Amino acid sequence: MSRVVVLGSGIAGHTAASFARRWLPRTETVTVVSPVDRYNWVPSNIWVGVGLMQPHQVTFPLAPVYERHGIEFVHGFARQIHPEGDAGDSRPFVAVERVAGGDGDFLRLPYDFLINATGPRLRFDMTEGLGPEANSMSVCTPEHAQLAARALDRAVERMRRGQRQRFVVGVGHGGCTCEGAAFEYIVNLEFELRARKVRELAEIVWITNEYELGDFGMAGMQMRRSGYLIPASIFTASLFAERGISWITRAHVRKVEPDRLSYETLDGGEAELGFDFAMLLPPFSGVGLRAFDRQGTEITDRLFQPNGFMRVDGDYTPRPFEEWSARDWPRTYQSPAYPNLFAAGIAFAPPHPISRPHTSPRGTVITPAAPRTGMPSAQIGRAVARSVVDMLRGAPRPTATASMAEMGAACVASAGANPFSGTAASMTVYPVVPDYERYPGYGRDMKRTFGEIGLAGHWIKILLHHMFIYKAKLRPGWPLIPE
Amino acid sequence: MPNRGPAVPDEEAASVTLPTRWTVFLRTFLPWQAWRFLRINLKMLGMVRRHH
Repeated sequence: MSRVVVLGSGIAGHTAASFARRWLPRTETVTVVSPVDRYNWVPSNIWVGVGLMQPHQVTFPLAPVYERHGIEFVHGFARQIHPEGDAGDSRPFVAVERVAGGDGDFLRLPYDFLINATGPRLRFDMTEGLGPEANSMSVCTPEHAQLAARALDRAVERMRRGQRQRFVVGVGHGGCTCEGAAFEYIVNLEFELRARKVRELAEIVWITNEYELGDFGMAGMQMRRSGYLIPASIFTASLFAERGISWITRAHVRKVEPDRLSYETLDGGEAELGFDFAMLLPPFSGVGLRAFDRQGTEITDRLFQPNGFMRVDGDYTPRPFEEWSARDWPRTYQSPAYPNLFAAGIAFAPPHPISRPHTSPRGTVITPAAPRTGMPSAQIGRAVARSVVDMLRGAPRPTATASMAEMGAACVASAGANPFSGTAASMTVYPVVPDYERYPGYGRDMKRTFGEIGLAGHWIKILLHHMFIYKAKLRPGWPLIPE
Repeated sequence: MPNRGPAVPDEEAASVTLPTRWTVFLRTFLPWQAWRFLRINLKMLGMVRRHH
């Protein structure tokens, strides 16, 4: 009997575990290890953050779903990987610290194949004063989003008493990713302030590490419109100007105080910005997994990049931007060090950013990190599960690929939630990582890259919310719903 | 009282492309949006099927 262990129960991990279970006979064990016992459909946290949904509408308990489908669930933190076992037993294992047991309650979990889908560690600590436990809000988790909604309610109350309020939304560090999520939040916030009839007392400011608006960490995109190829920066600026949102680009937030933040810009400037409400996403790193060889010698730096993300089959050779290639990006997500070790979703280390890197005169890198959430995460999870299942059946190497330079992504960014007056930006981009050899000029297939804003996008966003939660609950027919 | 800080750089906002009234109207015009709903879903499904 073999055991496939999946670390993490987010979009990538849950997808990988679900497909591994579907494709493997019940004589094989699929085990999910996660410190979180509820599944969270993260894209809808935005609506929790503006008070339109409650956390229970974007989450559900995992244990009953896993029990029904024969997936073993371990509620705990994966702390160490021992890919060669130890002196007493050569079978690889993961050391898991169980949540219920408290400090020191470690479980030795042997595996034949390990999929690391641990997602990010939210690094609020990288910017002084950043985060819900300090001076700014976040929508990274349902709990954070609920706190943001309460802070928004308080700000609205102040506005109803006649006080003007400044809302600052964006990213809280020069190396952040997920600008798209912050973008969704700011346009939903603006819509919600209009719905609550206090918009005229609000000043709304976007602060971002992007070089241009609409970069979103994937070097922006161009779209065909009226005989022109128009950059996403034009559309994003248009949307902001139409809604009275001002913006600060190329910024690295250095410090957040209770009523102001200070930031550095790419030209070397420094400035302060006062606020009454700030929602600033944190930078990400790996979760801090450590690895040891059979003798007990630490080999973490063989398996992981310094930022804690796992090295896989990408090309990590440091090179200048001009020499980056789509071929640098991983295809199978197999560790080069151990063939039975894979990473999926945010846990894998991108070979480099997608957007051109920029550094300020002080040496601060102000560049969005590569996004790898949502649809790419799920597709990677499924491909990794396929490879693992085939290798368990005797395939000598991974059989499925899911390079971000070969996959497209469809994204629907909510811009206001109302079934008749709401809108969302619907976008498809192909491929996610530009390939300038296959598609000279812009790096993307212009027939498959498009975007538009409208109510239809909002309906699609609602449909996706219900469809993906249904799929994640592994209800009848779930494999028919695409990732 | 929060420090209001420097003026937010909004010079760019004066020169951006803005939608016409017709474009804004179409964004929430139900018959048009019903059609766009079908078209966008088909485009997205095509994207997904291409990878699968």
